[in-house]
Amino acid sequence: MYSNIALGILSSLPMAIEGTSRLIVDIAMFFGLLVIVAMALNFQYGNAGIPNMGCAVQVIIGAFSVSAIVLRVMFTVVAASGVPLQDWTNDYNWVYGSPANVGLTNAFIKANAPIAIGFFLLSVGTALLLGAVIGYLLALPAIRLRATYLMIVLITMADASQIIGRNVVPISGGTLGVWIPNVFAWYPGDIGVITAVITLMIGLISFFIFRTMLNSPYGRLMRSMRENEVTLGSVGKNVVGIRRNILMFASGITAIAGVMNVYYLQFSNESGYQRAYWTYWPWLMLILGGPGNNAGTFLGAALIIALRRIIIVFKFQIQQYFFFPISYLEDIILGGLLVLVMIFRPNGLIPEKLLYIPGVNYTKMVNEDVKVDWRAAPKARAKKGAKPEEKKEEKK
Amino acid sequence: MRRKMDLTIIYMAITYASELTLLSIGFTLTYLTAKIPNFAHGTYAGFGIYVSYTFAKFFGINPYLGFPVAFIVGGILSVIVFKLVISTLTKMGSGSIVLTIATLAIQIFLGALLNIYAYVFIIFFKQYATAFLLKEFDFKIGEVSGIFFVSIGISIATVIALHTLLTKTKMGIAMRATAEDTELASVLGININTVQLFSWFLTGGLACLAGAMIPFWLQSSPTTGSGIITSIMAGSLLGGFESVYGAIIGGFTIGLSEILLTLGGQMLLGNWFGEYRPLIPMIFLITVLLIEPRGIQGFYERFQKRRGSKPTKEPEKKKEDEK
Repeated sequence: MYSNIALGILSSLPMAIEGTSRLIVDIAMFFGLLVIVAMALNFQYGNAGIPNMGCAVQVIIGAFSVSAIVLRVMFTVVAASGVPLQDWTNDYNWVYGSPANVGLTNAFIKANAPIAIGFFLLSVGTALLLGAVIGYLLALPAIRLRATYLMIVLITMADASQIIGRNVVPISGGTLGVWIPNVFAWYPGDIGVITAVITLMIGLISFFIFRTMLNSPYGRLMRSMRENEVTLGSVGKNVVGIRRNILMFASGITAIAGVMNVYYLQFSNESGYQRAYWTYWPWLMLILGGPGNNAGTFLGAALIIALRRIIIVFKFQIQQYFFFPISYLEDIILGGLLVLVMIFRPNGLIPEKLLYIPGVNYTKMVNEDVKVDWRAAPKARAKKGAKPEEKKEEKK
Repeated sequence: MRRKMDLTIIYMAITYASELTLLSIGFTLTYLTAKIPNFAHGTYAGFGIYVSYTFAKFFGINPYLGFPVAFIVGGILSVIVFKLVISTLTKMGSGSIVLTIATLAIQIFLGALLNIYAYVFIIFFKQYATAFLLKEFDFKIGEVSGIFFVSIGISIATVIALHTLLTKTKMGIAMRATAEDTELASVLGININTVQLFSWFLTGGLACLAGAMIPFWLQSSPTTGSGIITSIMAGSLLGGFESVYGAIIGGFTIGLSEILLTLGGQMLLGNWFGEYRPLIPMIFLITVLLIEPRGIQGFYERFQKRRGSKPTKEPEKKKEDEK
C-alpha cells in the first residue's frame, strides 16, 4: 500500500495524474477517511460498548463546520487582504456567488501557503470542538438509559441533520451546495494526492492516540465498562460521565473525517452524508474485522473498500448480469454480509486479544486464580522498559 | 372551499394515525417478546405497499381484496426473519446491541429486495412501479374516501381483537408471561418457541396490513416504508415501549400531530415548514426521552402511585420486611 502511495506522490509531481493512479489515490483517500470513522467506532463500540449509530452525524458536523464557519472566515480574511470578492452575505449570493469567490480564494491560497495552513488547522480545530459539542448534545437525551435508546436517538439524528442541512441554506448551501476552496492549492503536484496523504497521516496519528488510550488505565476502565456497567458503578466510577467523555472525544475525531472529505471533493452538500454510507459501512468494517482491536478494523476497512471499489470499477461488466441497478446489489451485500458475519464469525476475522499488562500474567491469573500483587506491576514495567505488546492467547 | 380542504387533511391525518397505531402496536409487541427495537418494522410496511401494488396494477383486482394476503405475506416474512436471524443470534447468546444491528442489516437487505421487486415491473412489464398512488381503486362514501373508514375500522377491530387475545385467550396470556420473564414462562410449561413465532407472525402481519393501506392516500415508493420507522419508534416510545395500550395512544398521537402540526406550521409560518415534517416525530422522541423515558406508561404509573392505589402497597410491604 505504501509503495502505491509513494508511486502516486511521485507520479503526481510532474503532471496531473489519471487512470489507474487516480484510482489508487481514490482508494487511499477513502481508506483513510473510513478507517478514521471505523477506528473511532472501534474505540466507542469495540472497547467501551457504546453502540454509536450516529457516525453520519459526526461526519456531517465536520463537513458543515467547514462550509458554515471556516468558509466565512476564509472569505473575510481574503477580502480583507484586498482580493475583490463578490458579496456573500445573503443566501442567494452565498450559493450562486460561491464558484467565483472560491476561484479567487484558490488563487489567493496559491500565493500564501502559511495562511492556507492556518485555514486548514482552523478547520480541524473547529471540527474537533464542534464534534465534541455535538457528542455532548447527542449524549444528552439517552446516555443514562439503555443502549438501544441511544441507538434510536443517534439514528434519527442522522436523518435530522440531513434535513436541516438541506433546508437551512447558510449552513451548506441547501440542495445546491457550496464550493469549498482548496487549502492545499499551494502544493505544486496533484491536489488529490496531498489530501489523501494528509488524511492517511491523520488516520495514523489518531491510531496512535487511540492505541495509547486503550493501553492506559483509562482503556482498561473502558473495557471493564463494556463487560459490566453495574460492577464498575459499584466500585465508584461515574459510568455516565465516562460514556459521555468517550462519545465526545470520538465525535471530535470522526468530525475530522468529514473535514477531509469536504476538502477532497472541494464541494459541500448534505446529500453526500447518508447514514447508509457513513454509518453502516463503518459498522460492517468493524464487525467484519473484529470489534475490540485496531488490526481487525484496518483489515475490515481494507477488505470492504476493495470490494466496493471493485464493484464501482467493474460496474459495467457486472451490470450485464443484473437487470436492476447494482447500487441495490451493494445494499444486499451490505445487509447480507453484516448478518452472515454476525452468525458465522461473531468475533470477526481477527478476534480480540488480551491486553498485555507488564508484570501481570493474565492467562495464568484466569486459569489458576493466582493472587497478583498490583503494587509490584509498575516496578516490573520499569524493569522491562519494553513497549506494551499484545499477547497471543485468545480470550476464553 | 377552504373548510372542505381542511376536513380532507383531517381525514388524512386520522387515516395516517390509525395506520401508525397498527405499526406501533407491532413494534411494541416485538420489543416485548425479543427485547429489541426492530428497525426492519417499517420495511414490512413497504412489503404491504407492494402487495397492494401487485394486486391493483398487475392482477387488476381491487387492492382491498389483497389485505388478507398482505397480512399473511408480512407474517411469513417476519417469521422468516425471526427464524433465520433473530432466533439464531439469540441462541448464540448475542446481546441486545448485536441483535439491534442485525435488524438494521435486515432493514437494508429487505429495502434492497423491495427496490429490486419494483425494478422487475419496470424492466419486464414496463410499468412504472417506483412511485405510484392507488386512489382510483378507492371507493367513496359521500365526499370522504373509503380508506378513512377502512383504516379506522381495521385499527379499532385490531385493538379490540388484541385486547381479547391478551386477556381472554390462553395464547395471549402465554405471550404476556413470555414478555415478563422468558425463563420462568418456560418453566411453567409454556412453549416459548410457538409463542414467539406467533407474536412475530402477528407483528409482521399487522405491519404489512398497515402498509397495504398507505398507497390509497400517499404517493408510495420502495423507501416509503423504511422512512416511517422514526414515526413508529416515536409512537412506541411515547407509549412507553413496553405497553401495548400505551402504543395505541402513542401511535395515534404521533400520526395525528405529525400531519396536523405540519398543517398548522404551514398556515402560521409559511409553506417552507412542510420540509420539516420528518423532524416532528424526532422532536417528540427526544422530548419524551428527556422528560419521561417511560412515556405515557411511566406517567400513568406515577399517577397511580399518587392516587395511592395498588402499586404503592408493594414498596411499603418491602420496607416492613426490611425492618
